[in-house]
Amino acid sequence: MMNIIELSGITKTFGSVKAVNNLSLEVPKGSIYGFIGPNGSGKTTTIRMIMKIMYPDVGKLLVNGQETNLERLQNVGYLPEDRGLYKKMKIGELLQFHGELNNGTDLPNRINQWLEHLELKAYKDKKVETLSKGMRQKLQFIATILHQPELIILDEPFSGLDPVNADMMKDIILELQQKGATIIFSTHDMAMAERMCDYIFMIYQGEKVLDGTLDNIQDQYGNDTLRIQSELGTAALEGLKGIEKVNNFGKLQELKLEEGVDPQKILADLLKKTRISKFEITKPSLNDIFIRIASPERKEAGNE
Amino acid sequence: MNKIWTLFKREYRAAVRTKSFIISLVLVPIMMGGGFAAMIIMENNKDTDDKHFVVIDHSGLMIDPLNEALETRNKEEIFHSHTAEKIDAAFVVEFMKANEQDPQSQYLALSKKVESQEIHAFIEIGPDILHPAGENKEAFIKYYSQHSFDDDARYWFQNVVNNRVQNMRAAELNLDEAQAKNLMWWINVEGMGLFSVDEKTGEQQEAEKTNELQTFLVPYIMLLLMFMLVMMSAIPQLTNVMEEKSEKIAEVLLGTITPFQFMMGKVLGGIGVSLTTAAIYVGAGVGTLQYMGMESVIPMDVLPWFFIFTILNILMVGSGMAALGATCNDNKDAQSLTFPGILPAILPMFVMAPIIADPTGTLATTMSLIPPLTPMLMVLRLATSVTIPIWEPIVGLIGVTLFTIFTVWIGARIFRTAILIQGQKPNLATLYKYAFKG
Repeated sequence: MMNIIELSGITKTFGSVKAVNNLSLEVPKGSIYGFIGPNGSGKTTTIRMIMKIMYPDVGKLLVNGQETNLERLQNVGYLPEDRGLYKKMKIGELLQFHGELNNGTDLPNRINQWLEHLELKAYKDKKVETLSKGMRQKLQFIATILHQPELIILDEPFSGLDPVNADMMKDIILELQQKGATIIFSTHDMAMAERMCDYIFMIYQGEKVLDGTLDNIQDQYGNDTLRIQSELGTAALEGLKGIEKVNNFGKLQELKLEEGVDPQKILADLLKKTRISKFEITKPSLNDIFIRIASPERKEAGNE
Repeated sequence: MNKIWTLFKREYRAAVRTKSFIISLVLVPIMMGGGFAAMIIMENNKDTDDKHFVVIDHSGLMIDPLNEALETRNKEEIFHSHTAEKIDAAFVVEFMKANEQDPQSQYLALSKKVESQEIHAFIEIGPDILHPAGENKEAFIKYYSQHSFDDDARYWFQNVVNNRVQNMRAAELNLDEAQAKNLMWWINVEGMGLFSVDEKTGEQQEAEKTNELQTFLVPYIMLLLMFMLVMMSAIPQLTNVMEEKSEKIAEVLLGTITPFQFMMGKVLGGIGVSLTTAAIYVGAGVGTLQYMGMESVIPMDVLPWFFIFTILNILMVGSGMAALGATCNDNKDAQSLTFPGILPAILPMFVMAPIIADPTGTLATTMSLIPPLTPMLMVLRLATSVTIPIWEPIVGLIGVTLFTIFTVWIGARIFRTAILIQGQKPNLATLYKYAFKG
């Protein structure tokens, strides 16, 4: 598969801070690539460099196999993390403006279709300032994809959306992928990333720490996780040996086992204390992996 | 280029459709013309209540002549010749003997009367007004009031007294009326333009009398118009760009367009707005003057220069303002940068008077060739009735063009870097860094 984006050895510093350090990344055409990482880890800087809004100090960045400048970076749709729309413009005019800037075709029809699709048709002649935050987010999403870009870059597209709209957005993103678009999005919603992404990339303190398919990533961490539901709950786990960490979800506890501990032994110990209604040996979730990498304990352990 | 056009359209529409644009389109000429209109209205609507004066006549010569003149004034002069409507105040004069022992207390008492508005003013006429020449002569007319400088009544007394003493001096010499008139005749120097040859017909053109309108009003209005056009399109650049930065609109757009396109779209939009305004004002002005039969006042040969220099001026100041706007984070930053940004538009206003007075002098020539000041000052000089050597506006134009290219270039560099940097205070050091180090 051809790569639509290739980064090799990209470094970007702001003053004395290395925002992105020696980053290499390949985004295959037609894939959905999820960018995850804690706040301030370098996601937005990476995205801005791909968008040619910022330039790397060192390294090479290819789009469609070519070094490009913004003039030639056509057919890209970009939804930045901080949303910004001209408040005094009418919705229809605003979309026409963004469509023209992106050299879109057949704009009046497309605008009507998308407004209908995202349930904003009634607001076409209203000013942007009259819309709620969620509506503005949908409007900006339309402005991003109106010109049918082949590469769509979305910085936290789901933040601020209610579950219904988030789901609608997810469906549209998947539809766009079906039609051949490549989608890069950053998110803090790990469940959404697990469900949607073909590839996941995690950046932490400017360095790449994860990159690959979900299976690949989980395989690196092995089957070291137990999910348990019992009558006693956390009380049943007290004094239990071979457990590195407990993640309590109330009705359900997630345990990370110490290396080489046999899950069957844990099950036997637990059965002596309480009745078990669920016992699952599993790979760690993306959420868990994220926390293992970026938790304060890890930071204290010298960024191992 | 398409993208600059799209941005231009948006900027232009956003500016022209606002209420403030339409209001300023109407209000500015009203305010500019307001001064003149107010003067005319004041002339026509004088206070017609009686005005009381006290006259202390040390010469003892002026009581009868003043009474005579007062009678003519109060019966005839203060009424409109056709409508017989009272258009000016009647004067009532009380003659008072001078208090030789204690003149100061008399003056003080009269001053208090003026303050309490019991009388409008008091006038002291010196003893030697008939024969003022010679040593130790006291020939004076003193007019004491609260606003004596711009008080029209002062001139009325001056004229009456002088006319009367002139007649008395003529009578002493046994001159008849015609002789007296010849003696007193004063001839003014008439200011004339130059003779020229009409380029189309080849006929020689008579020199015309210059007037206030040509020497002062035309250059003044042209300068004011350019100032207004620059202000209305350049000042909003700063706050608009700052808002687009702080509301994150800039980042959305910069995913699609280059900072240079962004800036040019905005600046050209501003030029569009200004030219629309200019076309309306200039059109209305020319139309009005033609209607009034005063088209000779319009400096048609200056208008092309006016438009070229106005466009360059807006490009120059506008791109500077846009760049400065990109460095601002909030209104406070914007306020502190507005003044230095518009200096090129304000400075010419300060030197306007000396330059109109001597358009070909060293000060005028030198200042009008300093590129940031050239557009306004060169047009000002061209609009006067004095002929400016043709090389000067051409050299000025080349200078401004080069300087404008430089400001647009440097503005774009500052804009490009600053538009995404949040929280950095704009100062000379950061501006230099943005401009030359990126």
